[in-house]
Amino acid sequence: MFAPALRRWIPLVLLVALALGLRTYELDRRPLHADEANQAIKTGELLEHGRYAFDPRDHHGPTLYYAALPLAWLRGETTLATLSATTVRLVPALAGTCGVLLLFFLARPLGFGPAFLAAALLAVAPASVYYSRYFIQETLLVSFTLAAALAAQRWWQNARPAWALAAGAALGLMQATKASAPVFVLCALAAALLVARCRPATTHLGRDLTLILGTALGVAALFYSSFGTHAAGLRDAVATYTFTSARATGDSGHEKPWWYYAALFGWEKNGGLVFQQLAFSALALTGALLAFVTRQKFLRVAAVYTLLVFFTLSFPPYKTPWHTVHLVPGLAVLAAGTLALIRWRTLAVVATTSLIFLQLTQTHLGAFLRAADARNPYAYVHSSPDVLKIRTLANAALAARPGGAIRIISEEYWPIPWYLRTLPAGSVGYWATPPADCDGALILASTAQASAVRERLHGDYRETFLGLRPGFLCVVFTPAPPAP
Amino acid sequence: MNHSRLSLLLALVALTGAAQAADSVPLQIELPKPLFAGTPRPISLPNLEKPRTGKRPDLMVPAGTVNLSKGKTVTSSDSLPVIGELTFINDGDKSGTDGTYVELGPTPQWIQIDLGAPAKVAAVAIWHFHSQARVYHDVVVQVSNDATFKTGVTTIFNNDDDDSSKLGKGKDQAYIENYEGKLLDGKGATGRYVRLSSNGNTSDELNHYCEVEVHGSLVK
Repeated sequence: MFAPALRRWIPLVLLVALALGLRTYELDRRPLHADEANQAIKTGELLEHGRYAFDPRDHHGPTLYYAALPLAWLRGETTLATLSATTVRLVPALAGTCGVLLLFFLARPLGFGPAFLAAALLAVAPASVYYSRYFIQETLLVSFTLAAALAAQRWWQNARPAWALAAGAALGLMQATKASAPVFVLCALAAALLVARCRPATTHLGRDLTLILGTALGVAALFYSSFGTHAAGLRDAVATYTFTSARATGDSGHEKPWWYYAALFGWEKNGGLVFQQLAFSALALTGALLAFVTRQKFLRVAAVYTLLVFFTLSFPPYKTPWHTVHLVPGLAVLAAGTLALIRWRTLAVVATTSLIFLQLTQTHLGAFLRAADARNPYAYVHSSPDVLKIRTLANAALAARPGGAIRIISEEYWPIPWYLRTLPAGSVGYWATPPADCDGALILASTAQASAVRERLHGDYRETFLGLRPGFLCVVFTPAPPAP
Repeated sequence: MNHSRLSLLLALVALTGAAQAADSVPLQIELPKPLFAGTPRPISLPNLEKPRTGKRPDLMVPAGTVNLSKGKTVTSSDSLPVIGELTFINDGDKSGTDGTYVELGPTPQWIQIDLGAPAKVAAVAIWHFHSQARVYHDVVVQVSNDATFKTGVTTIFNNDDDDSSKLGKGKDQAYIENYEGKLLDGKGATGRYVRLSSNGNTSDELNHYCEVEVHGSLVK
């Protein structure tokens, strides 16, 4: 009925559609994490005022913000107030979907079937789906890494300068996304050199390497300088390593044991919820062992790369769960390699279907059902659904007292600025400690500040609670209505 | 003369006041913008409220008051709890550790204890999930002889200040959960059934119960 070529590619199209669907379904449902809100506000400022300056201290690279602009324009959003959570989260969603396709083409040396399997496993992986719905740089970095690897692979094989240019551009985008990019480049280079042990096809190695490096530096410089409008960004792109290394080795509050990332691919029961990827991990581990038994070079490169990345991420005490996405493509390739070696077709089909099903149930639990639940290992220091109420409370307060002030008095208050971005300019203020004047149309104070705020209020206020995130409560003060 | 000077003075004061009033404008106060911050740190300690110094004030109840709810039938608006079983609610275990609490789905949910016969309720003690500082929203506790709670309903506690759960506007205060539980004065409300409602909490949208005790005496 369908031409053989179509029969071959239709499953890939359907797979990409599945990946896209998982990454874009109800993107605005989960409240924004503090980090997402931070970056969404910066994106809004770029969108509305055309201003962006790289902050080397607390923010990562600029690609995330600039990537959101065309999506916002297409969706008719031109200001911070109109910018939506769906728009900003479409950036990692689309990047993650592209990553699935890139992995397929990268893994082609294994054969169509294993490459498709590897892409399918990436498409449904819980961590990959979860952080493809998360407005942070990690998924972009993974996809740019895959793009760089694919372009470098093609250049190595056929020596075309266009592939060298593409590899350089992808490397530049990696660097412009996060300062940790060189880690993944070095791991990939080490894996390729340790395993490949063959020369590239090019006869102009010096020229091509210069092209790659020059393009990479040019692309990175373009972004860090805010497209030529902020030269200091180039200096800050280097200065950021001072802060990055301090964070990685210092007391950041995000210190975890060395086995943290391994545990995320294991089994965990927390408060009655089970998060596990035992089957996937077992197959990937088997694939890593088989990689050195078989003659499959690509499998060996994937094994060495994944191992190097694992050790590099596990060594520093600073760990956050979104780094796991860097391990998933390699593990997916290794697991696919194991499945591809099963000679008995029925068993292979059953094993593959079961694995995909298991991963999908975990993805459903982690990315959709309990996406903001504190028991979800991916929902790290995540905002509570309570924060979704703050906008309604603020609008009601201003309707009751037009011209009144909304005061946010808390040592931590993100993502609240995102949810109050639509309020009239100048109506909301943020303080880390109580100011002399605490009165207003609505005051939200952390429980640590609430007593001091209460002493500075004049008149009667009603009090209730709102959760910023699990364990962090805020007291909401609203002026009591006058007695009838 | 003095009268004239006084009049002039008063006129001058009035004129000055009028001039000031004409010049008055609303005071504009510039409010500080939010400062960007790094990834929040996870809270490693449970952040429980400090234990009360000394004993909780006694709630006086009639002599002969007993725990009427232990082992009684519990039903719920959520017939398939996400975690745990409804029997956890009155099994006597208030610890709040894994395996001792029931988790009901999001949106307003209720649990209902059938005391077996009409009773005079002296007190209701509630333990929601209390291993972390959290507040449960729209906590409403009602007593009735009608199992469907359509008629003869007495509300003994309601902190739903905006009637978002559609059980009436309440004036009681929200409270932070702790190991002591919330002790409510039943005020002698009479009924066979006790229904407790909530609408999520400050950490998530779900509803939890570790234990509920209904203290009172059966109506003779």
